[in-house]
Amino acid sequence: MEAAASAAQPEPRAKPRLVYPKFAIPFVLLILCFAAWGAAANLTDVLVGVFRTIFDMSNVQAALVQFAYYGAYFSLAIPAALINRRFGYKVGVLTGLGLASVGGLLFIPASEILVYEVFLIALFVLAAGLSILETSANPFVIAMGPEGSATQRLNLAQAFNPVGANIGVLLGAVLILPQITPETSKVIMSAAELEQSQEEDLGLVLGPYLGIAFVLILIWLLIAFRKMSTPAEASQEEEGEARSGALGRLWANRHYRYGVAAQFFNVAAQVCVWTFTILYAQDIVGVPAEDSGWYLQASLILFLIARFVMTWLLGIFRPSRLLLIMASLGVGLCLVAMFSLSIVGLIAVVCISLSLSLMFPTIYGVALQGLGEDTKFGAAGLVMAILGGAIMPLIQGKVMDEVGAALAFAVPGFCLAMVAAYALFDLRTRRGGGGELVAEGAH
Amino acid sequence: MTGRHVLPRLVALGGAAAVLTLGVSACGGGEDEITLGLITKQEENPFFVKIRETAEDSADDTDVKLLTAAGKSDVDNASQVAALEDMTREGAKGIMIVPANSRAIVPAIEKAREAGVIVVALDTPTQPPSAVEALYATNNRRAGNLIGRYAKAKAEEDAIEPRIAMLDLAPGISIGDLRHDGFLAGFGIEDGDPEIVGSAYAEGNEDKAREAMARLLDEDPGINIVYTINEPTAFGVLDALENAGRDDDDVILVSIDGSCDAVKDAVRPGKIDATSQQYPENMAREGLEAVAEAVRGGPSPSGFRDTGVELITSDPVDGVESEDEAFGVRNCWGD
Repeated sequence: MEAAASAAQPEPRAKPRLVYPKFAIPFVLLILCFAAWGAAANLTDVLVGVFRTIFDMSNVQAALVQFAYYGAYFSLAIPAALINRRFGYKVGVLTGLGLASVGGLLFIPASEILVYEVFLIALFVLAAGLSILETSANPFVIAMGPEGSATQRLNLAQAFNPVGANIGVLLGAVLILPQITPETSKVIMSAAELEQSQEEDLGLVLGPYLGIAFVLILIWLLIAFRKMSTPAEASQEEEGEARSGALGRLWANRHYRYGVAAQFFNVAAQVCVWTFTILYAQDIVGVPAEDSGWYLQASLILFLIARFVMTWLLGIFRPSRLLLIMASLGVGLCLVAMFSLSIVGLIAVVCISLSLSLMFPTIYGVALQGLGEDTKFGAAGLVMAILGGAIMPLIQGKVMDEVGAALAFAVPGFCLAMVAAYALFDLRTRRGGGGELVAEGAH
Repeated sequence: MTGRHVLPRLVALGGAAAVLTLGVSACGGGEDEITLGLITKQEENPFFVKIRETAEDSADDTDVKLLTAAGKSDVDNASQVAALEDMTREGAKGIMIVPANSRAIVPAIEKAREAGVIVVALDTPTQPPSAVEALYATNNRRAGNLIGRYAKAKAEEDAIEPRIAMLDLAPGISIGDLRHDGFLAGFGIEDGDPEIVGSAYAEGNEDKAREAMARLLDEDPGINIVYTINEPTAFGVLDALENAGRDDDDVILVSIDGSCDAVKDAVRPGKIDATSQQYPENMAREGLEAVAEAVRGGPSPSGFRDTGVELITSDPVDGVESEDEAFGVRNCWGD
C-alpha cells in the first residue's frame, strides 16, 4: 500500500526560495522594522507608570500615552493604505520610517520643554509613522518573493515583532525604571530640586526613543538609496478595489460583526493588562520601581511561549472552544487580581498573558471564516479594532483613580468576558456558509 | 556599499555603540573611595533593615566603602559603643548612628569625633543634640500634627463627640513627647482637656498596647478616637477592640510609621484610618551623601534635617492633605 501511495504522489517540487535575491537586504531591513515597532509599542507600556511618577499625575492622565499611541495607529490605517495604493510600498515604508523617526526626535524638544502634552504629540507622530510602516511592510514582505513562500516569509518577519516587544520592555526595565528619582526623595525636595529631577528623569525617557529614531533613520537611508519595486505591486490596485456591497455583506454577517467587537475587546484587554502590570506591582504589592518592569517582561515572555503552545493546541481543539476556555481563564485571573492584593494577585496579572496569547489570531481566523471575496476588506475592519487599545486603558485608568489598581482589573476582566461571549456565540450558532479558518495577517 | 557588507557593518556599529555605552556607564563614578560606617539599633526591625539596605545602595553609587554594625536590641548601648570604636580604628572617616541610648552613647561619639570622625545621627536624636554634627530624622511633631488634624476633621465629618484615648511611648522620651504634642496641636486640644478620656504608656509594644487598650475600654467603653505612638501599638489596639466586641469602623484609629505591614493590612482596608508615613531610606541616603561630601572636603552637615513625612489614608478628608494607600504601599518599608 505504502509503495503504491508513494508511486501515486507527484515528484517533490523544488522548495520555493524565501525571497528574491535582489530583496535579501531589504527583507532583512524590514525585519528590523518589525522589531522596531514591537519595541516602541511595548516601551509605551512602561511609559505610563514612568510619566505618572515624573509628572505626578492621575492614572487616567498617564493612560493618555496609550490613547495617543493606539489612536494614531487607528487614525493612520486608512491613509497608510491610500499611500501604498497611490505611491507603492517603498514610498509607504519610507513615509512610515520618516514619520516615526521624526516622532522619536520630537522627544528632544519634549524633554527640554518638560510638558506632558508635547510627549503625547511625539508619541502620536511616532505611532502614526509606525502605523504606516506596518501597513506597508506586511504586503511589501509578501511581494518580496515567490507566492509559494509568502506565508513563511511573513511569519518569519512577524516573529521579530515579539522579539522587539521584549526588547522594548527590557529597555524600560534596564534604562529607565531603575534610574527614576525615588518618590520618597521627592517628598523632601524643594521646587527647584523637583524640576531638576523631572528634567533628569525625562532625559532617561529620551534615551531609548532617540535610539529607536536612530535605528529607523539608518533603515530609512538604507532603503531610500536602494532601487526596489516589486512585481506584485501592479496587481495590487485591481485587488484593492473594494468589491461593491462588501460592507453590507460583512455587516449582515454576525460572526464577522461580533468578531470585530471581540477583537476590539481583545486588543483592549491586552493593552490594559500590559499597561497596568507595572502599576499593579508597585501600587498593590509594593514592588520597587526598579524591579517592577521585570513582571511585564515575564508577561511578554509567557505570551511568546504560550503562542507556540496554543498553535499546537489549536491543532487538537476547535479554535472557538479553546478561545472560550482561555478567555474564561483570563476572567478568572482578573478576579484573582482584583481580590488577592498580594504577590498572588500579581502572578495572576502576569498569567493573563497566557490567555491573551491565542486571541488575536484565533478571533481573526474565526471572524473571517467563509467570507470568500470579502476576506481582505473584512481583515481591514479587524485590524482597526486596535482602537480598543486606545480607549479601554483610559477607562481602566479612571476606574483605578476611583477604586484602586486591583479593582480596576474589572475592566480587562469585562473585555475578556466579551471575548468569551463571542467564542460561546460561535460555538452555539451555525454559520450560513462553510469555509476554512483564515490565518492571521498581522499582529 | 554592497548589500553583502551591510549587515556586518550594522552589527559592528551596534556593538561599538554598546561598548561605548557600557564604558561610559562604568566610568560614572571616578571619586576616591572613602570608608564610612553605619550603626543601627538592631537587625530585625524592618525600619533599620531599610536604613542599612539604602545606605549600602547609596555607598555603591558614591564610591564609599561602608562598614555596618547593629546592636542586639533596641536598648543595646554597649554594642554600639564597641562598633564606634571598631569603625574608628578601621579608618572610617564618617559614621551614621541610630542611637539606642541617646545619652549613654554620647561619650563614645565624642571620642570618635576627637579622632577626626564626622558623626551624624539618624532617626533618633542624641542628648544633647550637639553631640553629633547633624540629625537626619522625621519631624515627629509634624507626624503627630498630621494625624491630629486628620482625626479632628474625620470626627467632624462623622459628627461624633470626641472621646480620645492616647497610647503613648514612655515618659521622658523625646520622640514620644513630640508626636504626642503634635497630635494635640493638630486636634486643637491640650493635655487635660475633657476630650481626652484616657491615656497609657504602651512602650510601642503590641502586647502592652492590647492590655492598655483593654483597660481603657473597661474604664470608658465610649472611646471613639485612638491616638497610637506607632503601628505595633495600633495593632494591639485593634486586637483589644475586637476582643471587646467593638467594630473598628466605629473608632477613628490613627498612628505613625508607614510600615508595609500596616499600610497593606490595616490602612488599605481602613482598620487604621490614617498613618503618618516616615522614610528611613531618606535618612540613610541623605545622611550618607552629606557625610561623604563632608569627608571629601565639602560642607559639613549641621542641625536638624527633615527626612519627610506624609499622611496616608484610604479615606481622605477635606482640608487635610494626604496621599492614598497606593502611595503608601509604594513607599512603605518592610515586606
